[in-house]
Amino acid sequence: MRPILLSGHERALTQIKFNRDGDLLFSVAKDQHVCAWFSHNGERLGTYKGHQGAIWTVDVNPDSTMIASGSADNTIRLWEVKTGRLLKTWEFPTAVKRVEFNEEGTQLLGVTEKRMGHLGSIVVLNINPDIDGEQSDEKELTIVCDESKATVAGWSYMNKYIIAGHEDGSVSQYDAKTGEQLENLPIHDLNMQLTDLQWSSDRTYFITASKDKTAKLVAARDLEVLKTYPSDTPLNSATMTPKKDFVILGGGQAAMDVTTTAARQGKFEARFYHKIFEDEIGRVRGHFGPLNTVAADPTGKSYASGGEDGYVRVHHFDKGFFDFSYEVERERQRAMQKQ
Amino acid sequence: MSNKARDWADDDDLDETASTELPPPQTIQNKDGTKTTITYRYDEDGKKVKTTRRIRMVTHREVRKVLPKFGLSEKDPKGPQMDTTSVGENIIFRLSPNWKRDAKDESKDANANAMKEKLKDKTVKCRICNGEHFTARCPYKDTMAPVGAEGSADPAAGLADEEVAAAAGGAGAGKKGSYVPPALRGGPGGAAAGERMGGSKYGERDDLATLRVTNVSEMAEEAELRDMFERFGRVTRVFLAKDRDTGMAKGFAFISFADRTDAVKACNKMDGYGFKHLILRVEFAKKAAT
Repeated sequence: MRPILLSGHERALTQIKFNRDGDLLFSVAKDQHVCAWFSHNGERLGTYKGHQGAIWTVDVNPDSTMIASGSADNTIRLWEVKTGRLLKTWEFPTAVKRVEFNEEGTQLLGVTEKRMGHLGSIVVLNINPDIDGEQSDEKELTIVCDESKATVAGWSYMNKYIIAGHEDGSVSQYDAKTGEQLENLPIHDLNMQLTDLQWSSDRTYFITASKDKTAKLVAARDLEVLKTYPSDTPLNSATMTPKKDFVILGGGQAAMDVTTTAARQGKFEARFYHKIFEDEIGRVRGHFGPLNTVAADPTGKSYASGGEDGYVRVHHFDKGFFDFSYEVERERQRAMQKQ
Repeated sequence: MSNKARDWADDDDLDETASTELPPPQTIQNKDGTKTTITYRYDEDGKKVKTTRRIRMVTHREVRKVLPKFGLSEKDPKGPQMDTTSVGENIIFRLSPNWKRDAKDESKDANANAMKEKLKDKTVKCRICNGEHFTARCPYKDTMAPVGAEGSADPAAGLADEEVAAAAGGAGAGKKGSYVPPALRGGPGGAAAGERMGGSKYGERDDLATLRVTNVSEMAEEAELRDMFERFGRVTRVFLAKDRDTGMAKGFAFISFADRTDAVKACNKMDGYGFKHLILRVEFAKKAAT
């Protein structure tokens, strides 16, 4: 497996996202532009210029016409994928740490930081799917997180709930129409913040990554913890691979401690776990800083990881990856074939 | 005409006459990836019309593949650019259900197995008394057993060593007619020293009764070495090389004896002696190159 190294950023990566067709890859870093890449050969399609601060988050809508990015310059910006044109800027009182389109691409949620007397909040914006249409300034909904600020959030299946992960390690479920909090459960250890939340392809369950060194698979309907993946390092990101029942975890010790330890001890590896059996089944080395973000190609052919070292590494799986299965899985397959 | 506005739900009129029947629509897959469809219909005047359409199916991906570049990549030509995209080293990525155990085995195996192989046909032998126990467990350890415990076997070895050393010392003198550098001229002791330039203390050093001790622990002290070697005879000089900055021993030392026979004895006994977890190597010092 030969990874493709993308070195379009000068600073630490913060998030990467594949589009739904898996042919484009969007990356954001603490420098001030968003990059779009072709995932099959690593060619850069272009950059989206305009942000005045570190960019924390990016998301692409389902038909790959627009992307949204949230930045430390207190704005969410909406861009046209094809040309890099800025379509809309929404201003907020504090930095935006997370954005996510809903399943249809008609609404966008943004998570704002708690700072300077402002409480952390989750805002929902209406998106006009027409690329040349007027985008509304109005916020459809604002959920204020007065207990513990939200660090990550996303839309559940059918846009029924908004699920948010908090700084104190808890996960809440909000009604996506009214913004009412339905549930708040301490999923991770107390005061170990959630660093990532990514959805399964049908959005009925999600995976969380936390500083408490575990990743958990949680059902969206009742926030029941389905699986737990323990590791030996604080985690920054977790994703699920389509096609195969694996999860990929990325982490490494805190960026500020990196200089005091050797690369070997830093645990800068992507860890593969089996989604069902919860066993660690392999690791991929390469980054020389902690992994800040991992993302799996929705077509299942590849995955990408972005590190504190400023590189994005795109890995296209080889045959051994797809052939790998547990003995019990093979037995079941044989039994199915016999029938 | 009944055929003019046919609904999919309508029953096919099987009694239709051959003349009014339309040929079935055709679809042909072309070589260049396009499709040709041929359909027939009746126009308002009841005339048969043949429509041929060539259709090219394009996915969103293909449309995107040929998009012009923009932003910082605006001026880049087609294809991946060297400055932003490179291919990394090949990574061996093998999945395994018990990855953790495998990884551990790998790291251990290399060392542990090799060590086992080595030790397979070795028996434990004490370096002090040749008994079947580790040197560290030797009952004579504290009484410095090497001094006299195995006295009987050693003199022969000692003599042999002495001969070798002597031969090395007077290397040049042995062969007649060949050129001998001034530094090596003359027998042991006397003449050579006299011919030396200057009168530095190194020049006066009696190399013939000097032992070079290597693999000395970093923690070693000169006094300790002196104590160890003094049991064989009078020690005139102990030099332990130390790092100037750290003050730690560099790992070698020179011990000069007053009497050469003592030196030979010490050399035989102390070579291979365990000192501060390291095994000393003792040999006669070679003459410094001039």
